[in-house]
Amino acid sequence: MKSNVPVTRLGKFFGDSDFELEISMGQEWLIGDMNYTCVLYKIDRNKIKTDDVYGEVVEDGIKFLPPVEFNAQISIAAPENKMVGTTKMDQVEPGNITISVYLKTLNDLGIDVDFGDYVGYYDSENFVRYYTVVNDGRVISDTKHTYKGFKPFYRTIIAAPVGPNEFRGL
Amino acid sequence: MALPKKGPVKPTLPLNHPKTLLPRREQIKDMITKDGTYLPKSLLHADLDRGFLDFVKEKFKIVSEGKNIPVVDILITTQNWSQFVETWDFQNIDKNLEPPFLTVIRNPEVKYGNNPAVMYNIPNRRMYYYMEVPTWDGNRMGADIYKIPQPVPIDIKYTVAIVCNRMREVNTLNQRVMETFASRQAYQTINGHYIPIINDGFADESVMELEKRKYYIQKYDFTMMGFLIDEDQFEVTPAISRTFQIIEVDQRNIKRKQKKQQPVELETITLSYPNSGSSAEYYFEYTCNLFFENSTNIKEYSVYINDQYYGDNVDTIQINTNDMLKIDITTNLSLEVPSISFSQKLL
Repeated sequence: MKSNVPVTRLGKFFGDSDFELEISMGQEWLIGDMNYTCVLYKIDRNKIKTDDVYGEVVEDGIKFLPPVEFNAQISIAAPENKMVGTTKMDQVEPGNITISVYLKTLNDLGIDVDFGDYVGYYDSENFVRYYTVVNDGRVISDTKHTYKGFKPFYRTIIAAPVGPNEFRGL
Repeated sequence: MALPKKGPVKPTLPLNHPKTLLPRREQIKDMITKDGTYLPKSLLHADLDRGFLDFVKEKFKIVSEGKNIPVVDILITTQNWSQFVETWDFQNIDKNLEPPFLTVIRNPEVKYGNNPAVMYNIPNRRMYYYMEVPTWDGNRMGADIYKIPQPVPIDIKYTVAIVCNRMREVNTLNQRVMETFASRQAYQTINGHYIPIINDGFADESVMELEKRKYYIQKYDFTMMGFLIDEDQFEVTPAISRTFQIIEVDQRNIKRKQKKQQPVELETITLSYPNSGSSAEYYFEYTCNLFFENSTNIKEYSVYINDQYYGDNVDTIQINTNDMLKIDITTNLSLEVPSISFSQKLL
């Protein structure tokens, strides 16, 4: 049975009510003012079509649950102009996307983000770029992810861009 | 047991033996000059590169998920890349190549070749007789002599790289390479020439970084043992169609010493009369004069020519061709065998 132990640190001047207030104010800024959104394509691991030997997904074999839009702070790295290995073919590789999302947002929507899930981010009205989660940011015990050391309150998810050969969304 | 697929089953049996030895060599020679002149076609760097690209497209044809894995149809160089990205047809919205695909990279340096068939040659690239081609100028028949220099061997190193997302695609290319180079080398016909290609090995450069887009990159190294033939260096010269012999004579007077005539010794004719004979004959096949020399035990003699009396004791006798000389003698009272001698002079 999972036990709930109250967090009493910083108790003289900070508590759960303060923590929730700060979170709600942050969400108000992030959702109400900024309103950055992205779409989670959660992999349906029961229906996905994979290779028998290597477990690699066959073309158009990725099946996902109904997409869910969620708010988060988005940061996209600059693209890199580099060669594909040492093949002398240079290309501009899009940068990774870093998604910082409140835990409360995930809880309210009832979603979770795992390795291999896909995320879509609309660069413009008619162009969406898809990313695959390469770091689901599940480990949030570091101080940076806590509110002044009180409790963790957000996750940092890193996803790398994918091409249409791998994932094409809806 | 599974039935063999349709492909490997031979629908017919060959009725003729394939050509071997000299007929095969003639067949290869015909292949070199097919659809062209009597001379072999040029074989330069660009031809070899194009040939290797065709080799990759033909031999390493891979189908994945029902689609052919495309081959980047150029050799990647620094200059052509920007133009090519505008034209390729398997790019994504970022104008990047979308895996899977095959690409061919050529090492810029081209070294002197190790093909033993052409690496040992005579210095100075002399021209060699290649063929004699008959000609007709409307009046007389002639011939042209075609000469070519010995080809220069070169080794060109290529790398064939596959960039893909699935292990099965990597496996398929590996299978193609291994099957093609099961005998270590394969051949590509470029402009009619058989060019050997050797597999030097392979390397894996797959992207394994955690927070990067992941894909496989496997690179296979090949050496094409080619040679260079430049048609600009061929020579066509007319052969000899007619000969005209001239003898030149020195017309200056050349003074030479006059040859001295050696005195001709006259041959002496001797008629002898043994056994108490008193008449002797001699047949002449030439014309000459006879001069009396001496006689032994002869008192006097009478001369007849062709039984016609000529004279007694004459010192000179004129003889014509086919004359029969007869000399009758009267001997002395001695026991010696009588004889008479004449010297002769040819006329």
